[in-house]
Amino acid sequence: MSTVTGQAAFAGDPAVSPRRAGLLRRIVNHRADYLYVLPAIVVMLVVIGYPIYYTIELSLFKTPPNLQMKDKIFVGLDNYVTILRSASFRDVTLNTLIWTAGSTLFAFLLGLGAALSLHREFMGRGVLRALLLIPYVVSAVAASYVWKWLYHSDFGVIGALAVQFQLSDRPINFLDNLHSVLPSLIVVNIWKEFSFAMIMLMAGLQTVPDQLLRAAQVDGANAWQRFWHVTFPHLKSVSMVTVLLLMVANFNSFIIPWIMTGGGPAGASDIWITQIYNLAFGRQRYGVASAYSVILFIVMMTLGYFYVRALTRGDEARAG
Amino acid sequence: MTKIDGRDATAFRLQRRELVAYSIAALMSTTMVFTATTASYAQSIDLSKWSPEYVKSIAGTEEFDTAAECAKVTPLDYKGKLSYWWTGPNDASPDIERKINDDFWAAWKATYPNIETDAQNIDYNVLLDKLRTALLGNAGPMVLRLQILGGIEFSSKGYFQPLKPEDVGYASADFWPGALKSDTYEGVLYGIPTNNETMAFIWNAKIFNDAGLDGEHPPATWDEVVKDSKIIHDKLGIAGYGMVAKQNAGNTPFRFMPQMWAYGGGTLDESTDAPTYETVMLNSAGAKAALQASYDMYVRDKSVPVSALTNTQNENQQPFIAGQLAMMIAHPSEYAKMKDLASKATGADKAVADAVVENMRYGLIPEGPARRAVVFGGSNMHFIKNEYVDGGFDAGAAKAFACFWNSPEWSTKLAWTGSNPGNLRGFKTKWMKERLDTIKFLDVTTSMLPNGIPFPVVPYATEIMNHIVPDMLQNALTEKMTVDEAAEDAAKKVQDLMAGM
Repeated sequence: MSTVTGQAAFAGDPAVSPRRAGLLRRIVNHRADYLYVLPAIVVMLVVIGYPIYYTIELSLFKTPPNLQMKDKIFVGLDNYVTILRSASFRDVTLNTLIWTAGSTLFAFLLGLGAALSLHREFMGRGVLRALLLIPYVVSAVAASYVWKWLYHSDFGVIGALAVQFQLSDRPINFLDNLHSVLPSLIVVNIWKEFSFAMIMLMAGLQTVPDQLLRAAQVDGANAWQRFWHVTFPHLKSVSMVTVLLLMVANFNSFIIPWIMTGGGPAGASDIWITQIYNLAFGRQRYGVASAYSVILFIVMMTLGYFYVRALTRGDEARAG
Repeated sequence: MTKIDGRDATAFRLQRRELVAYSIAALMSTTMVFTATTASYAQSIDLSKWSPEYVKSIAGTEEFDTAAECAKVTPLDYKGKLSYWWTGPNDASPDIERKINDDFWAAWKATYPNIETDAQNIDYNVLLDKLRTALLGNAGPMVLRLQILGGIEFSSKGYFQPLKPEDVGYASADFWPGALKSDTYEGVLYGIPTNNETMAFIWNAKIFNDAGLDGEHPPATWDEVVKDSKIIHDKLGIAGYGMVAKQNAGNTPFRFMPQMWAYGGGTLDESTDAPTYETVMLNSAGAKAALQASYDMYVRDKSVPVSALTNTQNENQQPFIAGQLAMMIAHPSEYAKMKDLASKATGADKAVADAVVENMRYGLIPEGPARRAVVFGGSNMHFIKNEYVDGGFDAGAAKAFACFWNSPEWSTKLAWTGSNPGNLRGFKTKWMKERLDTIKFLDVTTSMLPNGIPFPVVPYATEIMNHIVPDMLQNALTEKMTVDEAAEDAAKKVQDLMAGM
């Protein structure tokens, strides 16, 4: 039996640690299971593992515009040092944090409000729910172009309405101003993704037991107290997952800022992902762009860890 | 401080005299920068006589048989495959450009029916990024038409095959020397100029008159552009000059560099008689003066579109046809586009649009203290090396196509409203005569050709022109930096770029 042979081999080899021996033994014991998942693992290694490896490798090289990729120059950790020391990194990171925190917070709050409003039965609820889902299903590219024209600094509809209703004496400068561009983009992003939060939280609301809410009502709890002490604790897990998913999506968000401003003006709406794209495909700094990507990857993995923990905690709570 | 900063007013005067001397004596080679080169070619078109009258006199004087010429390069029954990427007509193009494009593909299919063709018309601002990505994955097309600025980056990396007009049945002498020079890297030619053009200054005479200016006399200098733009904005409440300052968009350097060169600035020393591309001029007095003029229009006077920072030239078309923009820099095709837009307008808009077309004027791009300048523009056709082509390179098909596209017939037709034939023999065709007879203002733009200055022929030219120059503009126009700081910052970026080669 191979298992016995394996055990004998590990027992006789002092170089193999007990922990490693245990892992290998488990693999051998469950070799049929591992064979079943092997194709999936191979595919993952090819489509996920190799790009990650290549990105990390490339982040250690310099790629000047007059050299092909195969002639890249090894520079060690220089790209990371360059990035971390640059003023643009600080600006872009600050933009990314504002973008992510602003979009996530307000999309969640708006989604929560919409979910709570739509949780009650009322006439036209289905229609309203469908209408609120429209931003989520509209193509991000199409939405970006529409919003770009709505915001246009000279001929935008919003600016024209503001002038018409005498809210402003000239069209509002949304996208061509250092200070207003990022908030303007965040508004578009919130509009685009609050429906996602709404759907998640509506599903979460289904799990709040009616008898608890009724009992609280009998005990004299007002609407806010019922929400805060009964409903919200039940939404904690789904809220955590929703916020984490929104954060991951926003950290990786590309379409809206790229199409609407390309990171401008003067870098005022440049976030990590647009900066990475611009460095790689606009300026051919593949090495620096890869180093940026690795930093972003580490941040995403950290968020991913908390996401998995939140999911696992939910499972454990249910199991308990 | 870079070398050129040391130039004083005397130097500018000297250069101006040289410029005038060249203009008169050479009358007119492709560009003043390449006047010396011109002499080494025996051209079928006499560039020393170049003038609107000369162009008119040679138009329609020769007949060409495209199929017969190309059959000598690749037999007409040749069976093969071709993949081709280029930037062709889009929604902003005049209708006639789209029709000619359709006619071309029909003629190509009829002439070489056995060459299976996969042609991709890719947006001007997307093509470079897409090509870079494709080449990294060895998935490029066989044949490519690329803006004049983009070629050297890929030639220097070894992606392109050496390619000269003789390879596809034509003589190098029949192409603008400046255009050939712009595609030559380390002494080797890597492409065939498909079309070459210079832009012109366009204005709405009625707006000028309404603002109390002379509608028949546009601003002669860039300082006057600043002044007139302010007058127009102050009196009429509309934008004066159609500034374009979008990041990563070719339209931006095509409009700002003429201004910078006119004031005596530059990115490198591309505007000098013998450029070495080793001197950074973005922080020169001339460059700062040009940037200051833009700052004055955008920030101080607010006389240009607020959306200039996100606008390409396409976004200037609608306000111009609506009578809300007085001046802009563009191709001769702009007139055709405006006629198209006017023909599609209805109701009250129609009257406004017709009045704009009626009052549309073309003139020379204003001059500055140093010179009158314009970007020597155009595109080149390239062959990509076999190992970087998706599916491999088919030499017979590629040569047939290059011959067909660059023939006197099609190089003229495909440049109908927006450019001029890269193959100078195109100027002798009956189609050139038809263009001159039917396209208003074509002679104005062709007469700007001798003032054309090519972008620097260096591998990092696209980064300078599409990123560093627009960055500089945006940093100054948003007041993120002062004009001085923005210019110094841009110069440092170029110096770092050169140091990192």
